[in-house]
Amino acid sequence: MIVNFKRDVISGKIPVTIITGFLGSGKTTLIRQLLVHPSMNKVAVVINEIGEIGIDQDLVTLSSENISLLANGCICCSVRTDMQETLRDLFTRRTIGDIFDFDRIIIETTGLADPAPILQTLVSDTLLEAQFRFDGLVTLVDAVNLPDQLENLKEPEKQLAIADRIFVTKTDLIDTNQMDQLVQLIRNVNPSSPIQKILHGNIDPNELMGIGLTSSKASQKTLHFLGENTPQTGEKYLGVFAKRHTSNIQTETLRFKTPFTWQAFSSALDLLTTLRGVDLLRVKGIINVENQPIVVQGVQHIFHPPITLDRWPSEDHDSRIVFITRNIPKEVLKSLFDVVTQVVKPAGLN
Amino acid sequence: MQSPNPLGKADQTLSRNMTLLAHHELGGFGGLGEGISLQITADGRRILWVAHESAPKNFSGIDVTDPKNPNLIVQTDLPHMQVRSNSLDVFGNILAVAYQTQVVGLKPAGVDLFDISVPEQPKLLSHFDCSGPHSRGVHALWFVDGKYIHMSSGSEDFEPTHPLDDQFYRILDVTDPTQPFEAGRWWYPGTRKGDISPPPPRMPKLDTGYRVHNTNVFPREPNRAYVGYIDGGAFVLDIEDMKNIKVISHWNHSPPLNGFIHTVLPLFDRGLWIVSDECVMDDGADWPKLVWVVDARNEENPVSIGTFPMPNPEVFTKRGGRFGAHNLHENLPIPGSFYSDTIIIGTFFNGGVRVFDTTNPYRVEEIAYYVPGAPKLSPAGAIQINDVFVDENAIVYAIDRFGGGVYILEMNI
Repeated sequence: MIVNFKRDVISGKIPVTIITGFLGSGKTTLIRQLLVHPSMNKVAVVINEIGEIGIDQDLVTLSSENISLLANGCICCSVRTDMQETLRDLFTRRTIGDIFDFDRIIIETTGLADPAPILQTLVSDTLLEAQFRFDGLVTLVDAVNLPDQLENLKEPEKQLAIADRIFVTKTDLIDTNQMDQLVQLIRNVNPSSPIQKILHGNIDPNELMGIGLTSSKASQKTLHFLGENTPQTGEKYLGVFAKRHTSNIQTETLRFKTPFTWQAFSSALDLLTTLRGVDLLRVKGIINVENQPIVVQGVQHIFHPPITLDRWPSEDHDSRIVFITRNIPKEVLKSLFDVVTQVVKPAGLN
Repeated sequence: MQSPNPLGKADQTLSRNMTLLAHHELGGFGGLGEGISLQITADGRRILWVAHESAPKNFSGIDVTDPKNPNLIVQTDLPHMQVRSNSLDVFGNILAVAYQTQVVGLKPAGVDLFDISVPEQPKLLSHFDCSGPHSRGVHALWFVDGKYIHMSSGSEDFEPTHPLDDQFYRILDVTDPTQPFEAGRWWYPGTRKGDISPPPPRMPKLDTGYRVHNTNVFPREPNRAYVGYIDGGAFVLDIEDMKNIKVISHWNHSPPLNGFIHTVLPLFDRGLWIVSDECVMDDGADWPKLVWVVDARNEENPVSIGTFPMPNPEVFTKRGGRFGAHNLHENLPIPGSFYSDTIIIGTFFNGGVRVFDTTNPYRVEEIAYYVPGAPKLSPAGAIQINDVFVDENAIVYAIDRFGGGVYILEMNI
């Protein structure tokens, strides 16, 4: 039987990992170690300022303008005028053969380490959207200072809440009890993302890769991405997390048995984003749109283009969406989707 | 500061969305032609058959049941050094192999049919002789239905008006593989002595002949032959009556370009042809050699609507050897073959194997490639990917013209 092969709409895009972390969390140390790691061949690392990293010039084989090529095949690129121009320039130079054909990008965030502008760039620039896909957000936290930061500042809490992976640095400066308390503190804000200790920036670069949805072809990996049946949750369903009470950030899961129309679902999401975008930190889910499985994901108010899977990844055809929000009760979220669905005409009715 | 330009370095492997699973050099005889096909045996093994580009080897069979662990199971020899096998196809347990001699008048020049029920022991079933005083035999063949071989061939009774025009379109009936016979033939008017039509004008810059190259006939439209006629252009022929073949369509980009149309691949449901040229000269001397998108919804008026994007010729024409279009994966209608009416995989000599999405035929997008570093002792000093077969699992088998052998790749598309 001849089967007409269809392209996977996302697997060919270059994955982009964003590294964030509050001041002093060890980002620079991590980047310095990453740049010289043997597994970083064909990875482009976008950093704020090459001078800050202090690359050993003996390891630089070639350099031009803002780009240095390292002996391990890693490309180190400092931001030019802005991230959008830098990413476009990287892609163009790759296409014309001016630099190695890198197959991954790691971006160090700047300033207050808000990843939203970078994500906005990735989804709104048509060239970048066609060529790159957001793979995941990695947040570094400082084991010594995190408790104070969470107590006194809003930004670290948000960075933790939206992280796909959490790396705890400087763990040699705290004891086991303090580490246990730190994990509890992190879990109050982010109940599911893997937590890993790192010392002096030593990390296997593979820990920063393959985080997000890598294919529109449904598989066990899709379920893993959705947070189902993972070792981290130990739960059957997406987002069935233990309730925490010490943070105003909540992780809530909604489940809908009745399929949506795309108009109903997207209208509800638009409304939520318009009214409470500031408090919408992370959304991830699989939606039954007229029996088609569609994956949606967003960070803060920015949503990636929805991905239609080639089939359902399991027998479970309910829509399941996990929301990480600031002070939006689950009942409110549920009501919003229910009401909008009722307002929007059902498919097929004139 | 020096600008890094790794694409121009022939020792550098380049890749995008393709991963090397395995590489096999075929025991030091890794120079392969443009014959590559897959057999699925009765016991479920998958055997990749490849034709060698030149003597002393004839064809090889590689067990690729586990594509990460290819195993050479058979490799055969040619009778002398002035013949090459270049092309082959497999249908079921029958292997058809083309033989072309270096000069006219030599033998063997024709087609062998083998029973490969036991792949390790190919058994010759028949030889169809195409030799003659003006014939070099068979350059390329197409055998996908068990009934007919469509091929580019000379013949004892064919005297061309120009020595470069010696191979025309011939059809063999091989329903009984022990007794093949000619079922039909067609040639470009004016290329045979005695034709009423005058000989066609030669290409002004580079004369590569009015010869047939690929002759594709698909079971879903068995009355149409899609023929690349080298300098003669692209033809679609009505072969309903094989004794009276008629021209349906003709399209050519040359002159002003440098001829050598190689393959005409129809995408039936979209009314498109994907037409590939063949680069035959080193260092860009015959550039541009491209892959064309032709709107053929009106068969009588095919119109080119674009070409596939190519890597930077400024870089690749200096990378060593040939650079430009050549073979395509031809959606072979056989078990185990990849089929797509949007994704096209092609070979580009030192440009490696490249994958394109033609969903928008006016703006074809390159989505993957693999350019191996130069094989050891390659006379071109660079990889020269010559042909490609893709299986139904999207595993790509790309072969080198000089020494590199088989590169087995996974597409991440």
